Amino acid sequence: MAEIASLSAAVADLVRDGDVVALEGFTHLIPVAAGHEIIRQRRRELTLVRMTPDIVYDQLIGAGCARKLIFSWGGNPGVGSLHRFRDAVQHGWPVPLEIEEHSHAGMANRYVAGASGLPFAVLRGYVGTDLPNVTDTIKPITCPFTGETLTAVPAINPDVAIVHAQRADRAGNVQMWGLVGVQKEAVLAARRSLVTVEEVVDELEPVPGGMVLPSWAVDRVAEVPGGAHPSYAQGYSERDNAYYAAWDTISRDRDEFERWVERVRSGEVVRAS
Amino acid sequence: MDKRMTADEVAAELRDGMTIGIGGWGSRRKPMALIRAILRTDVKDLTVVSYGGPDVGLLAAAGKIRKLVFGFVTLDSVPFDPHFARARQSGAIDVTEYDEGMVAAGLSAAVKRLPFLPMRAGLGSDVVTTNPDLRTVTSPYADGEELLAVPALRLDVALVHLNRADARGNAQYLGPDPYFDDDFALAADRCFVSAERVVDTADLSSAPAQSLLLNRGAVTGVVAAPHGAHFTSAAPDYGRDEAFQRHYVACAKDPEAWPSFVDRFLSGDETTYQSEVTRFQEAAA
Repeated sequence: MAEIASLSAAVADLVRDGDVVALEGFTHLIPVAAGHEIIRQRRRELTLVRMTPDIVYDQLIGAGCARKLIFSWGGNPGVGSLHRFRDAVQHGWPVPLEIEEHSHAGMANRYVAGASGLPFAVLRGYVGTDLPNVTDTIKPITCPFTGETLTAVPAINPDVAIVHAQRADRAGNVQMWGLVGVQKEAVLAARRSLVTVEEVVDELEPVPGGMVLPSWAVDRVAEVPGGAHPSYAQGYSERDNAYYAAWDTISRDRDEFERWVERVRSGEVVRAS
Repeated sequence: MDKRMTADEVAAELRDGMTIGIGGWGSRRKPMALIRAILRTDVKDLTVVSYGGPDVGLLAAAGKIRKLVFGFVTLDSVPFDPHFARARQSGAIDVTEYDEGMVAAGLSAAVKRLPFLPMRAGLGSDVVTTNPDLRTVTSPYADGEELLAVPALRLDVALVHLNRADARGNAQYLGPDPYFDDDFALAADRCFVSAERVVDTADLSSAPAQSLLLNRGAVTGVVAAPHGAHFTSAAPDYGRDEAFQRHYVACAKDPEAWPSFVDRFLSGDETTYQSEVTRFQEAAA
């Protein structure tokens, strides 16, 4: 059953050096505040997993929290490259970063397999791409009925999954709606999970298109209003497009980025730039 | 595009030897008006995939089924369908009996246009020994685990019954459970939907977005079929007609009584069926 906790206590309890950690949320509901708390607590050697590593992973990588990234597509959406990610891959700054690149469909299937308790998933993806040549976790698998060669990808079972949602009740049941990605699958695949929410309420009113993660699937719920900023939480906030543009300048320069990290660690940056 | 058609036009699309999937679950939200229309044709040798209820019983009684792929056949409040029990015990139909989850995995594989999906259910059970065509697949990763491979259940035609649809084929369930109707629809080359009411598209927005189970891209034809799930349930429009189901079971159990049930309820068209049901209900009241 989920406990309601502060963000700092939840991250301290759940995220350990060397863990495999997935922060999920696709354009919408990205758990950025939780990423900042991981930076504040100076976690190291994490294997970060995410379908679309964007600003929050650029920040974690630049702050030296990660030793490996498992991903599909990386970038500052609508702006350009992730400069901290690029610097880590090209120059090993501040620490070397190993990468394991997949397709979106492959990553989604990996979470589904993890959530289903299966060791792998089968799909038709990757055909005609170079990914199988550079990513050794992509394997051929033969259909035992037709003899056809398909693609297998291994399950992902993160040590910790972290997602952001609109609401939770006091028992720790979590409700999210709008554009959802693989949050449900990531949480169900993970050994431990943390959900930051816009607000904790007495009762979860049904919402069209809403999805509930039951309390028993979640370990900690932390109330963090605006915790998805600069991404958005439908019904609560708008996407802060200026922040994404501003991040390009901050992240291009190591010194400027380090000043930003110091402001996060000192608590000066609670959200926004 | 207006996809409205009649139940008899749907039945006329079936050909001998086709594989058809039937939505619903046991004696719940079964496309019974479409099944009754099939009974009026001379189509035969069907392979039927179903979480079976009286759809299977009626088709078996009429000799339409060559092979049945199923997770169960039940009338819910009555454990067994007598026609199915007789066909199963006499060996009159070929059967592929799976675990419920395996049927779902087979449909899911077909939806994804994959030839199989791996799963754990069925391993170590007699499902494997009674279905010798099943195979296993070995994980290509370090775990090297052996899993059951469930072959895709591709369907020529899917038949489902929903509460509401528009003329374009967008269809909506208003009850507590979608069952696997969306997978049946997407696993099939063509899906025909019967609905309690065919409404304007805008009227579909009066219920939550989750209730919009099928979009028009998955649907070939739409049949307006009020009480079209009778005598199975179509909650919240109506519950199961338990008295009529008991009557069906009593007649199905008794070879002397069955011809008169067929004569009264199944020999005419759907309008005749519904009016005879009303007379049956008035007599019982």
